[in-house]
This record gives sequence, C-alpha cells and structure tokens, in this order.
Amino acid sequence: MNVLARAPPAPPPPAHGALPWAGQPAGPAPPPPAAPSRAPSPLAALRLPLRLAWRQLRFEKARLFSAIAGVMFASVLVFMQLGFRSALFDSATALLAAFRADIFLMHPMTLVSFRPETMPRARASQALALPEVQAAVPVYLAQATWRSPENGSRRPIQIIGFDLEAGVMDFPGLAPLIERLKRPDSMAFDLRSRPEFGDIARLLHERGPFDAQVGNRHMEVVGLIEIGPSFGADGNVVMSELNFRRAVKERAASAIDLVAIRLLPGADPQAAKRRLAEALPGDVMVLTQPELVAWERRYWEDATPIGFIFMFGSLMGLVVGMVIVYQILFSDIASHLREYATLKAMGYSNGYLGRVVLSAALILAVLGFLPGFAASTLLYDVVGKGTFLPLAMDTERALGVFAMIFAMCAAAGLLAMRKLRDANPADMF
Amino acid sequence: MADAPVALRDVTYAYGKGELARPVLRDVDISVGPGEIVLLTGPSGSGKTTLLTLIGALRAMQQGSAVVLGQELMGATERQRVALRRRIGFIFQQHNLLGFLTARQNVAMALELDGATGERARLARAGEILGAVGLGDRGESRPDQLSGGQRQRVAVARALAGAPGLILADEPTAALDRQTGGEVVRLLRGLAKGRGVPILMVTHDPRILDIADRIVAMEDGRILPSEGAAGAPRPLPPFRR
Ligand SMILES: Nc1ncnc2c1ncn2[C@@H]1O[C@H](COP(=O)(O)OP(=O)(O)OP(=O)(O)O)[C@@H](O)[C@H]1O
Ligand SMILES: [Mg+2]
Repeated sequence: MNVLARAPPAPPPPAHGALPWAGQPAGPAPPPPAAPSRAPSPLAALRLPLRLAWRQLRFEKARLFSAIAGVMFASVLVFMQLGFRSALFDSATALLAAFRADIFLMHPMTLVSFRPETMPRARASQALALPEVQAAVPVYLAQATWRSPENGSRRPIQIIGFDLEAGVMDFPGLAPLIERLKRPDSMAFDLRSRPEFGDIARLLHERGPFDAQVGNRHMEVVGLIEIGPSFGADGNVVMSELNFRRAVKERAASAIDLVAIRLLPGADPQAAKRRLAEALPGDVMVLTQPELVAWERRYWEDATPIGFIFMFGSLMGLVVGMVIVYQILFSDIASHLREYATLKAMGYSNGYLGRVVLSAALILAVLGFLPGFAASTLLYDVVGKGTFLPLAMDTERALGVFAMIFAMCAAAGLLAMRKLRDANPADMF
Repeated sequence: MADAPVALRDVTYAYGKGELARPVLRDVDISVGPGEIVLLTGPSGSGKTTLLTLIGALRAMQQGSAVVLGQELMGATERQRVALRRRIGFIFQQHNLLGFLTARQNVAMALELDGATGERARLARAGEILGAVGLGDRGESRPDQLSGGQRQRVAVARALAGAPGLILADEPTAALDRQTGGEVVRLLRGLAKGRGVPILMVTHDPRILDIADRIVAMEDGRILPSEGAAGAPRPLPPFRR
C-alpha cells in the first residue's frame, strides 16, 4: 500500500524537492495552514468578477454575438426614436427659433404661433418706456395661400411682417434685401420651405425677381432668406409691415401677434423680463426666446401624440434588448449551474457571483452600444438627408442612450441573477 | 480531541419538515485528526453525502455540534459558512471545472479569493501544483481537451491550491475507470500527506480502501462501531516507498 502512483523513480529527497511546499514526510504532520486569507482589495473585488464574466462570454462566440446584436439593435432603435423625436420638435419650433431678439411679448392665450391671439400694438411702445429696452418691434403673423409659380397648386404659407429696419428679427439673408423689401408688394421667400411651394431659388436665379400670388395678391419675390419649415408652416415669407397689411387686408394695423424686444447691450434679460411683466397689463406674457420656443414645443408635446409615440418606441427597443440580454445571461447561468455551485462550494459568495453576472451584463452593454452608436451616426446622416429632418448625433443624447442601455442591461442582469439561487453547493456531491 | 480538524458530536439531520421529516443522520459522532485520511463507506442512502455536506458547511446544521477547523457550525451564519468553505478543498464526483477556463486558470480560481496573493503569484502557484499532479505541461489546456483522469487531477490540484485545512471528497473516482481512479486518489493521498492536510473521503470503491488511515462505516444514518478503538486513529503508516 501507500504507493504514490506517479512517484518518480528518483530517491526520496530529490523527489521531495520537486514539491516545494510539501512538509517533511517523517515525523508528525505539519499543522494545517491556519491563518484565514485576507479579503481582496475593493478593486480586485470588481476586477476579478469582471474578468471571469468576460472569459465566460468570450468562450461562447455565437452567444456573445447574438447578445451584442441584441444590444446593438436596442441602441439603434432608441437612437432613431429619440433622434426623430427631437428632430420633429426642433422643426416644429423652427420659426420661433429663427427669431433674433432677447425678449418677446405674446398674448397669454396664444397656444401656438400659427394660431396667435392678437394684442394691442400699444404694448410695443409701452415696453419702450423701460430704459434698458433698445427696440421693441411689433410682429404680424398670418397664414395665407401661396400659389406655386411652377404648377399653380395652392398651399398655406406663413407670412411674417415687421419693421425690417429695426434690426431686431435678423434672419440669415435678410440684411441685404431690406432696401428692396421696402418697395410695395415685395417679399422674401424662405429657401428652406418645403419643395411643394415650387423651386423658388431656381426661378429667382433664372428670371430675377418675379411675381407670385400670396393670398389674392400678386407680390414680387425679391430674394431668399433662411428659416425652415415647422409643424404649423411648411414655408415662410417675410415682408415689411406695410406690405403685410396689403397682403392681409382683414388685419387691423393695431392688432399685433408678437413684440420682439432687443435690450441695450449688457442688460440682464431676466431682470428686464421681470420689470416688463410688472410694467405691462395682464394681456401680455413676457418670455425670453428659449421660453418662447419651449412654450411652442410644449404645445406640440401636449397636443399631439408625437412625444408618446417616440417614447413608446424607445421603450419597446429597451424592452426587447432587455429580454435578449436576460435570455442570454439566464441560459448562461442555467447551463453552468454546476460550475456556479462549485464556485459557491469553494467559498465564493452569492455577492461575488452576482457581480460576475452583472459584469457580464455591463460588458454586453458596452460591446453592444459602441457598434449601435456607430450605426446610428451613419443612419442619422443617411435618413436626415432623405427626410430633411435635422438629425444629428450629439454628446448629450449619446450619453443618455448609453445610460439607458446600461440600465437595461443592469436590469436584465439583476433579473438573471435570481437564477443563481438555484446553484446549490449542497447538491454538488 | 479539541484540536481535531473535524469533530462532530451527536449530529442528527432530517430532510423535510414536521410530519414529513425523514431522519437521515442519527447521533453521529465522528472526528478526523490532523493529517489523518478517513474513508467513509456504507450502503447507498446511508447518509454519507449528507454528512459530508454538513461538515463542508454546504448545508445548515439542525442538531448536535460540529466543529470544523475551529468553527462551530451549529448556528453558524451564512457568512461564517462561506468563510469556512474557503479553507476546505472539495473534490466532487464530477470534476466540475469551469469549461471556459484553462486548467491553470481553474486552479487559480481557488486562489482568487485570497487578497494576499497577486495575479502573477497565483498563476505561478497554480502552475506548480499542476506540475505536482503531473500536468505541468497541460496548464493551458481547457477541460474539454483533457481526459477524464486528467480533469480529475486538475480538480485535485484545485482542491489543494488554496492550502486548505481539510479536504472533503465524495466518490472522486466514480466517474473514472479503476486504474485511473486509483492513480488519482493515490496522488491525492501523497500530496495531502506531504502537506499534512486531513482528508475525509466517501467511497464505494474497494480498490482504494488501502489509502486510508482509518475506515468508518455508516449504515442507516449511524456510524457502525469500528473494529479498533473508536476515535483513536491508527498510527500513520509511511506513504512513500
Ligand atoms: N436533498 C434531499 N432531499 C430529501 N432527501 C434527500 C436529499 N438528499 C438525500 N436525501 C435522502 O437522504 C438519504 C441519505 O442520502 P445521502 O445522499 O446522504 O446517501 P449516501 O450515503 O450518500 O448514498 P449514495 O452512496 O447513494 O451516494 C437518502 O435516503 C436520500 O434519499
Ligand atoms: Mg452520496
């Protein structure tokens, strides 16, 4: 008996030397190592489970790639939904965002710019009473029918009329046109209007200034400015106050829709806003430009299901992604129950193994998000060009989507972790 | 024996609760001395595995007293039990190696819970002990690239790597042919003796009974009185030629 099966043929001392930790064979056995091991450092407590998770994921390539594809799919879906959502809201408020002024006055009952409630023109001059107000320009807004000079089809268009020389509403391209716009029955056309209004830029280039029909009046298009279509208006034209009254006869000159106020350089917009609100009667609301845009945006968010549709779409993407990640993690645990139970028997705690599962989830989040981000950036470009929607990747959205994907994977990991309870080390023997 | 690595007194255990409770262990007294190799035999269903899982802190005690490596297990918390398991080397019927890790990484898993050693030291130590089980050149192989006997030898290396104070094994040769099984347990015995680690092993295999310092027989949840004086281990026989 007592044959060491693989004992080397060499005499005992050298053979013994091959086992550096072996105790002396003769005499009483050395005491078992007593000192309990030191706990791993907090960093190792995160790094080692992460490494174990990565080794496990890496081992089954097909499973890893399907998980990555799932997370990538969810990322792309969420990116597209959020991109469309913000593009639509951005374009919904394009007109107001194109205005250039510090403060605006608006009737409190105005819900949305294309259906304004009018207020007395006197409010503009009253605002001038404040010393920090440099200029206060009444703005007229109305919708009228535009007849396409190309094929004669009629569509509603937004008309914006104001004192062009006040230098308050400075649309790109407006400054060089001001002299020509002073002429009776002249207007500037928004070159970013939808193509259905006719290719005005080409016509202008070919013919020079030409007549077009707005409302029931023929007016001359003298140049191009840039605003962009919004939900309420597919296209825009800008003209002087006087021409506005000619085009929109039913409008009384004393009823205006908006007052655009420019402050003296260095004036505090918030303080000015408060003072204006105190000085003016209750039929006007005082807003800074971001507030005005937010007001308009809120209308579209509340009055239309656009916001809901895209939030729902994003949520569906996240749910689908979560189910995929959960499935992968769950089957990973289920098919390795014996191994997990063995680790528990070796003294690995539930918490440690939980960290392994969570690490796997977070690895999938990162590995799926990165290609998803790249694909979405590409898609934004392609789809944005095809739909005229202002789709662009920005850091804030990228971080936001990453946070969502991260949370999605973490939730899947937490759900899958429950399966770890089935790994019972007592069943291992 | 107060400083015995394993000392059980009056351990009684039943599966099920209340009316359905089925006693599996009755008043079991057993102890394993320092460096002693004890084999546990008995018919199927006699409670050997249950006893082993209690000693290994894999199952909560119900009645009696069990002091393992100085830790009283009756009423021990989950935390204490997990901590104790780290000081015990387990060898199972199946090798239970992690399929996605190499042999060396599998052995190193037994060392990763110890914050005192660095990654380099862990792998070096794992390599050394793989050499000691005759697999020095197979460290980078995955379990599915090894034979059954080689896998079980990796499992032996893993059980020993953490410098355990006790080794518990349940039919470690069951999945192996007789020849290979004999080789593996003799290897285990040699390494354990060299390090003074006591072993408690359940086995049905009559061919390996000769590795024991003492054989304990169980039947129907009880320890059968042994031929020699109970509790007094036979003097250790020399284990090397
Ligand atoms: N998890 C469990 N739940 C309920 N009863 C169990 C459980 N595990 C074992 N038993 C029962 O307890 C008794 C003892 O089982 P145990 O596994 O300890 O026997 P054993 O001596 O290891 O048998 P074998 O030699 O076949 O492995 C058996 O009657 C078995 O049916
Ligand atoms: Mg058994």
